[in-house]
Amino acid sequence: MVIRPYGYALWERLQSWLDAALKEHGVQNAYFPQLIPMSFFEREAEHVEGFAPELAIVTRGGGKELEEPLALRPTSETIINSMFAKWVQSHRDLPMRLNQWANVHRWEMRTRPFVRTLEFLWQEGHTAHATPEEARAEAMAMLEVYREFAVTQAAMPVIAGRKSRIEQFAGANATFTIEAMMRDGRALQAGTTHDLGDNFSRAFGTQFSDAGGRLRHAHQASFGMSTRMVGGVVMSHGDDTGLRLPPRMAPLQVVLVPVAARGAAAAAVLAAVDAALVALRATGVRAQADVGTEKSPGWKFSHWEMKGVPLRIEIGPRDVASGTCAIARRDRPGKEGKEFGVPLAPELLVQEVLKRLDEVQAELLERATRFRDEHILDVSSHSQFLEVIEQGKWARGWWAGSDEQEVALKEESGATLRCFPLEQPGGGGTCFLTGKPADQVALFAKAY
Amino acid sequence: PVHRLDGPTGGLVLVAKTRAALRLASAAFAAREVRKRYRAVVWGRLAAGGVVDIPLDGKPASTGYSPLRWHPMEPSGGRDAGVGTGERGAGSLEGNRWTGTRGAAPGSALAVTVLDLAPVTGRTHQLRRHLALMGHPIVGDPKYTSGYAAQRALALGDPAAEEGWRAGGGQTVAPGAIAGATPHLPTGLHLWSVGLGLRHPITSEPLTLQLDEPPEADAAPAPKGKAKPAGKKQKETKLGMRATKDGDFSEWYSQVVIESEMISHYDVSGCYILRPWAYAIWDEIKNWFDAEIKKLGVQNAYFPLFITEEALTTEKDHVEGFAAEVAWVTKSGSSDLDRPLAIRPTSETVMYPFYRDWIRSHRDLPLRLNQWTNVVRWEFKHPTPFIRSREFLWQEGHTAFATRGEADAEVHTILDLYAAIYQDLLAVPVVRGVKSSKEKFAGALYTTTVEAFIPHTGRGIQGGTSHCLGQNFSKMFNIEFETEDGTRAHAWQNSWGFTTRSIGVMIMTHGDDRGVVIPPRVCAVQVVLIPIPSTKLGEEARAAMAARAAEIEAALKTAGLRVRVDDRDNYTPGWKYNYWELRGVPLRLELGPKDMEAGVAMLARRDTGAKESVAWADVAARVPQLLDTIQSDMLAKAKATLDTCIEQVTTWEGFMAALERKHAVLAPWCDEESVEEDVKRRSAGKDGENKDAREATMGAKTLCIPLEQPELPEGTMCFASGKPAKNWALWGRSY
Repeated sequence: MVIRPYGYALWERLQSWLDAALKEHGVQNAYFPQLIPMSFFEREAEHVEGFAPELAIVTRGGGKELEEPLALRPTSETIINSMFAKWVQSHRDLPMRLNQWANVHRWEMRTRPFVRTLEFLWQEGHTAHATPEEARAEAMAMLEVYREFAVTQAAMPVIAGRKSRIEQFAGANATFTIEAMMRDGRALQAGTTHDLGDNFSRAFGTQFSDAGGRLRHAHQASFGMSTRMVGGVVMSHGDDTGLRLPPRMAPLQVVLVPVAARGAAAAAVLAAVDAALVALRATGVRAQADVGTEKSPGWKFSHWEMKGVPLRIEIGPRDVASGTCAIARRDRPGKEGKEFGVPLAPELLVQEVLKRLDEVQAELLERATRFRDEHILDVSSHSQFLEVIEQGKWARGWWAGSDEQEVALKEESGATLRCFPLEQPGGGGTCFLTGKPADQVALFAKAY
Repeated sequence: PVHRLDGPTGGLVLVAKTRAALRLASAAFAAREVRKRYRAVVWGRLAAGGVVDIPLDGKPASTGYSPLRWHPMEPSGGRDAGVGTGERGAGSLEGNRWTGTRGAAPGSALAVTVLDLAPVTGRTHQLRRHLALMGHPIVGDPKYTSGYAAQRALALGDPAAEEGWRAGGGQTVAPGAIAGATPHLPTGLHLWSVGLGLRHPITSEPLTLQLDEPPEADAAPAPKGKAKPAGKKQKETKLGMRATKDGDFSEWYSQVVIESEMISHYDVSGCYILRPWAYAIWDEIKNWFDAEIKKLGVQNAYFPLFITEEALTTEKDHVEGFAAEVAWVTKSGSSDLDRPLAIRPTSETVMYPFYRDWIRSHRDLPLRLNQWTNVVRWEFKHPTPFIRSREFLWQEGHTAFATRGEADAEVHTILDLYAAIYQDLLAVPVVRGVKSSKEKFAGALYTTTVEAFIPHTGRGIQGGTSHCLGQNFSKMFNIEFETEDGTRAHAWQNSWGFTTRSIGVMIMTHGDDRGVVIPPRVCAVQVVLIPIPSTKLGEEARAAMAARAAEIEAALKTAGLRVRVDDRDNYTPGWKYNYWELRGVPLRLELGPKDMEAGVAMLARRDTGAKESVAWADVAARVPQLLDTIQSDMLAKAKATLDTCIEQVTTWEGFMAALERKHAVLAPWCDEESVEEDVKRRSAGKDGENKDAREATMGAKTLCIPLEQPELPEGTMCFASGKPAKNWALWGRSY
């Protein structure tokens, strides 16, 4: 998959927000090699089992057969732990928090742009801590960072939860996830954090001397968010006309289009467009004017609607005369979203634009939340569960099933256990499948 | 030499000047008539002396030892830290062969002791083995630390050590683990031969030969509050660095990138880990350049890492240039791929098939894309961190224009940005120029370059290249568009790339014997603030000092600077100075008790060592000024050095003499490829025996034809061929 500039710009929005958030948390960026000796994977038994079938393997380089085959990283726990084993010596070295922005490869058979690709871009954070509690807290803290990004920036009302044993990361003690609902009702795992316990530190011998001089294994966390999130934005908000981008993510927040200007009036219109553009950019609004003459305004409207630009400002000769313009909101189609007579004076226009950008951001989230809540149904029996899944919705119910029953349910319905939401109703209930007493509620859905 | 020392042991060796003296002295050694004294730093605290007489290799062996002093250590002693602590109290090995007394050091979990050693016998590695058997392995001894120490711990029945040992798989610790575990001690074995007592072999008069204590033996931080003896300061600053830049440049470079924590080595040869201290510099370069090209209208995108074989071989010259160094993915999981996939060595061939699809009309032009990625070039040349590695990070820009004029203009705009990264950010002077036809990028119409020069090796280094590809690739990949008047034309293309190599050039340019020196604009920490709380200070005064440090930190942060306060309480101020000097932080701010009284702080420059005292109120104004001065001074200094390293000559003799002086040479040239090949051959020395010698005498090539040309009078001849010269070319040996 080639990520073209418009898609990459969305990724850059995510990058700059997340990079700042991670640095704020004390995470430092580094870069680890892409090629990892096969023997590294074999050190952690569950890890190799989980990833071996998906590895892309280099066996030849510079015209020679390699002595040991090298895998393209599918994730970097192994190589980073081989270094943690050297760098972590004392309790004073902890916590150690590293992150890298990198490409990773997983040999997937069924691919889908952004959501499931053979190569994808991501950040992967890897941390080492003195105690199991700190590693767990780190995994939870990063989950909250991801959740905050999804909700406040991408306007995606994700549900944060813990993965089941079947679905957790190969080599982790526990995996946490934010699950997003796409417009077709499918679930998208939009970011995961892992409490790795001391599994990798034991496999790689990452030990430190504690304050009393005793040797301890480090406890670790890892966490990643990828270009999949870009797919999540597209599938959370898009409609039949095209993309609908939340203003905080949109590479372009406002497009200015001059309307029906000929002759002498054209110059005045273009001047007004230009003045508005300058004023908007000066306040940090990502704006662009589409002033070309070869396409009609109507063509331009559709073009920018397809691209999901949140606001369109139309300026015509009559607007210039009356000192006004029209603003159309992408999230409300047709006349309903278009307002005439908005003041054109720069300082007033900027206020109008900023206000609307906030409104669009909030309404996209609200709408997606409503959609989500309408599509999650509580189930209390197996047949109800099947019915809900059949309707393309998410099923929520008390769960006390075994791993085998979870797998069987997936084979029967196509739905997987997405997570045990962190927010639980409390108390206890009866498992919808087994009828046994259950102490937590699980969410099931078909997923990407 | 009359006797020998073990490889890693340093110190005094007796050398005989005549055969007779040799024979007699050797006999004295064999008869154990020579008293030998060694100095060692060992793990743990030893309070009293004694004798170890554990037989080695089935033969009697005996070592006397007496502790001179001990130092508490920060317990980053690593996996064996629990072993040598001396906390377990007295114990004895079977048969009570050694008589040492364990001095328990309550509250001090980890310590090192400086020992005076007097071996009576001379078994293989006797001192190292005996001390390890005592549970006090010599610092920096990978061979005998782990196995023996762990076994020793087991023998003593220490449950904690036993648990750790078993948890580690019951194996001995990897060699080097202990050396690596002591960042605050110099690497290498802490064992030195310091004294010999014998009779003169000819005159029989008693001789006592003695060395001063090696500086390394005292490199461990002294107990707090105890002032360092004055004369030792200089030596102490060697923390981590053993090689000198002038003495052994290549060793110096290898050490400095590791010790400054910029690089870690990795199991795959030629691949390195960029640690945060190095990556932060790349982040700075990236942020600056990314913003600059976005202003030009360049957009970022991302193209796949994999290239199919057909795509890679589309442009013939291009594939010839890169084929030899491609890495191939041939398997997925356990199954073989039908068609192997190449990992991009550069992305022309991945991107241009898409350009063909995207570019239809003149309205689609210019198309200006850039990507920040890793690339892999599987070379077998000697790898060097940053400078030549099999995987590196870079940006690659790929643009397409309707006209050659636009393409030409962009080539130079980008080249200027590259020069600005070097000169303005990294404070490294470069020469802008055009590559000769022999040296240009495979498939390019012409290549422009910024060339830096490393005086210590006398080699030029290509710092970044901006290529005009002309229509070569657009013809191969059918990148055609409809012009304004309805005809069809091939696009004019450029590509340009800048890599992490630049960080290596920066280190080589500015580093010194104390470590790296990083220019303020790219350093992750621009000012390090070190409070110096003397033990005499009361609680209140210490609190006031900490508060003042925090205030200054806040003021500097407000001024937009990257500041770090080093208030770690387990290191001495002196140790911290070394630590941050090794890492190259441009400015150190010291705050001591006297400064507190006077209301001032001391500023110390990393580049010159100059110090000045500044009133607190002026710090926030003075520091940014000083950082600017450091930045420009570093460039000016490097520029002055570069200027002395470029000689302008007109004759072959002058050319060779300049090369001999490890200089680059500006010489009039006829601009013919055959002449360049000839010069390369003629200027190469005979094959040296080792790598360094080969590199020192490799043939010279053109680094570039500088954009700034000296005047070339009519009738000037080529220095090499005697044909009429067409330009001044910059020649040199190169990386």
